[in-house]
Amino acid sequence: MHSGGFSRRDMHRMARSAGRRNNARRSDLEMTTLEEVPETLQGQLEDLLESKEEIRVAISTDLQFNGTYGTDWVLATEKRLLAFNQNGAPTPEVRNIALEAIDQIEIRELHGNNYMKVRTSEGAFEVARYSKRLAPKFAEATPEIETLIDKVKPEDAEKSKRHRKFVDPGKKKIRCETCGRPIPRWSDVCPACVEKGKLLVRLLKYAIPFWKVSVPALLIMLVIRLVGVYPPILSKTLIDDILVPATIALTGSQPVDPGAFGQLLTIVFMMVGVHVFTAVFSAVRGYMMTWVGQRITLTLRNDAFQHMSVLSLDFYQQRETGNLMSRITQDVGRLRDFIAEGLQDIIGDSMALVYMCIIMFVINWQLALWVLLPIPLIILFSFYFGHKMHKVFHVLWRRYAGISTILASTIPGIRVVKAFTREKYEVDRFEEQTHQVFDGEMNAAKLWTLYQPIMTFLTYIGTVLIWLVGGRQILNGELTLGEITLFMTYMTQFLQPVRTLAQMNRRFLRAATSAERVFEILDTPPSVASHKDAVDLPNMRGQVEFRDVFFSYDSEKNAINGVSFTTNPGEMIGLVGHSGAGKSTLINLVTRFYDPSEGEILIDGHDSRDIELRSLRGQIGVVLQDPFLFEGTIADNIGYGKPEATRQEIIAAAKAANAHDFIVKFPDGYDTTVGERGARVSGGERQRISIARAILKNPRILILDEATSSVDTETESRIQEALGRLIQGRTVFAIAHRLSTLKHANRLVVLKEGTVDEIGTHEELITKGGTYANLCEKQTELSKIRAW
Amino acid sequence: MEQPIQIEDEVQFLDPKRLKISRNQFAELEAELPDGSVHAPVEPVRTFPLTQPDQYISLLDAHKNELGLVEDINQLKEADRTILADELEKCYFMPKITKIHDLAGRFGVTEWDAETEVGSVSFDLRSRNDITSLDRGRILIRDIDGNRYEIVNYHKLDPKSITLLETQI
Repeated sequence: MHSGGFSRRDMHRMARSAGRRNNARRSDLEMTTLEEVPETLQGQLEDLLESKEEIRVAISTDLQFNGTYGTDWVLATEKRLLAFNQNGAPTPEVRNIALEAIDQIEIRELHGNNYMKVRTSEGAFEVARYSKRLAPKFAEATPEIETLIDKVKPEDAEKSKRHRKFVDPGKKKIRCETCGRPIPRWSDVCPACVEKGKLLVRLLKYAIPFWKVSVPALLIMLVIRLVGVYPPILSKTLIDDILVPATIALTGSQPVDPGAFGQLLTIVFMMVGVHVFTAVFSAVRGYMMTWVGQRITLTLRNDAFQHMSVLSLDFYQQRETGNLMSRITQDVGRLRDFIAEGLQDIIGDSMALVYMCIIMFVINWQLALWVLLPIPLIILFSFYFGHKMHKVFHVLWRRYAGISTILASTIPGIRVVKAFTREKYEVDRFEEQTHQVFDGEMNAAKLWTLYQPIMTFLTYIGTVLIWLVGGRQILNGELTLGEITLFMTYMTQFLQPVRTLAQMNRRFLRAATSAERVFEILDTPPSVASHKDAVDLPNMRGQVEFRDVFFSYDSEKNAINGVSFTTNPGEMIGLVGHSGAGKSTLINLVTRFYDPSEGEILIDGHDSRDIELRSLRGQIGVVLQDPFLFEGTIADNIGYGKPEATRQEIIAAAKAANAHDFIVKFPDGYDTTVGERGARVSGGERQRISIARAILKNPRILILDEATSSVDTETESRIQEALGRLIQGRTVFAIAHRLSTLKHANRLVVLKEGTVDEIGTHEELITKGGTYANLCEKQTELSKIRAW
Repeated sequence: MEQPIQIEDEVQFLDPKRLKISRNQFAELEAELPDGSVHAPVEPVRTFPLTQPDQYISLLDAHKNELGLVEDINQLKEADRTILADELEKCYFMPKITKIHDLAGRFGVTEWDAETEVGSVSFDLRSRNDITSLDRGRILIRDIDGNRYEIVNYHKLDPKSITLLETQI
């Protein structure tokens, strides 16, 4: 509950909620199972409750039974449970159930809403309907009501775990604890609450290490800009001091000053000098800044990829490959462009403007004011425009990412596309996307082409003003011809930096969008990471204990629903069960690709979360159904987990994996390149290379996930043989649909809907005649008719 | 020569006239199948929840095994149809948004104030991926808590709602 006053956010919330009928939007933030009962119900309660009866649980819903938003109530005292269901009627219907009568409280989790149901021996009643937002509150209230029931029915107390155990989805915060705003899916911190510093400041940090180059480059630029304003002054001197007097002299038939040509020559030389100076130093500066820019790209790109590699699997599951790729390739480039070029341009251009302003004001401040008159208009216009542009570019960026996404999915899937002759469909899909990009680009162009003429017109106003005002001043003798030329030249020089600065706006916005995306990667903390007191476990024995483990990939459904068992070091456990029973999930938990939502996994008695990740994964070997090989040679791939392996070790591992024989038949032997994803070797060969890879690593815990399901029987027997060698002396978790694969297993764990259904040796389970025996029988029948 | 299998034969729909659906005393759905067997509780599942909400309804028993498929709930006897439709409405709660009052946010995290057919609602999204655009302007939204919302055709919303929505899709 709030202790002191309302925050600004609350006020905002209240303003937003005003006029809304039923929305307990923030009330769930301070979750309580004893809410304040409204007065309308208080009256009814007096009739329903006995004198000393006290309300222990009071929870409101946000839905009614007729499927409209509205508030119903569930109340519990030490004697009864009361449900008030309005259901569109003027007064709520009351259901009064004595606690003694209640057998069970059930939560029905459905799509988009839940129900709370009370079951008695005679019947059952739904007492509340509520949206998923209130699920945590009801989940908390249920055991409280059960405790009340247990008090009146002590004989049933041992059944107190009647309700389904509720798992907090991944224990990940989904709302900020301070402001109640949602936390982005990719982050753990509330973007609104964290003192984020401006994106700009953060970007600048990447330039700081290179200050030894970028600061001199900046100084050079300032000098160049200063020198750059000089030529018009020279022109002015030339006209006013040499050419005009000469012209006047000539029109008056007077001789021209004999020193005039010498002066002319000096000025022309100075002009050439200025240009040469500018050109040389611009080139030098350009090279320096390119270096800085590329260094920043290098750092940022590597940082982003490095951080990406640390991130947990859930990060990758929520994103498309193409989208992530374009962040590392395109967005980083845009940031470089901004930090290296953009910022210096801003400074340089602003300085040039200041220099020119000073000179103009010194020469003729009235005319200078006229020249500056259109500038605020230009700035206003470009700000408004930049805002529109940003939106258009954002859409455009997403459409470009869409193209990458299509490419990233069709190119690897080209065999399927061709086999099902869906080329046309894919081409159409691609065309639709490219058309969208076209439309997006044209929208951008529409704005852009509109922008240019308006901008040109605004700037032209300045030129006209000089002719008008300056011309009049000349006629009045207040201005010289050289001075008006200087103003004219400055007018053209002036507008270029103003325009650049105006476009800077857009450049900045583009950079900001890119920065958001790159920082999204950098800011996402890995959901699985070693904490700082994590211990090394150099010589793992390989004892694995699951202790009441729950896990859920999303908030909808538990993939693992309370699993407990222990494996002995060196034991082989076969995991059996239907698809979706949680076999692979269990393995993902052992390897710590994910952490359990509840409960713990102990390895040699240590909570797996307390073990240094490198140390843990360094001793786990994995052989998957469809092994992933990297571009490179066979030797590289076998040595992937142990880069320091000698040639001899690689051959030994290959021999142990029954891979040596086929490898030496390749013309390039172990130096054969396997192609992208190992496409140039067959499935069975890939599998054996991956087994060699696992053998070489010499892991204490070995995971075989359907390691032999995608190969023919002949190859399977070779792989089986190799696996037989590989599993010796290691703790093994093997998943297999073909139960024959598990013949080496010491014990079998049969999983069903995320729970352990049966556990025991093959013989025990057959004798038991349960699920496993059933499966076995079916597979024996199948294997009889297997034809290959 | 043997004919290839006709895959249509693989699906046998429950005879709508000989299927009885009722609600038992425990407020559970009870189904009497054409073969005379009675099952409760029965859970109806939409096999095409987004595109064919009333057709191809799978009936599952307590162990989630399929008892059979109902081809179209409108073929059922009226009393049965009402009970099944009512249960489906319960199981799939997805209000249709008719107007967006306000939508604001950054980084893809957005707060929505909207009007639905069943009342006004406000909800939060955690990322743009929570919005799915389907054919013909249809939009599905899944909020931070797992609630779902639908926009039948966003082109038909009022201009303000469209403008707000288009910043997100």
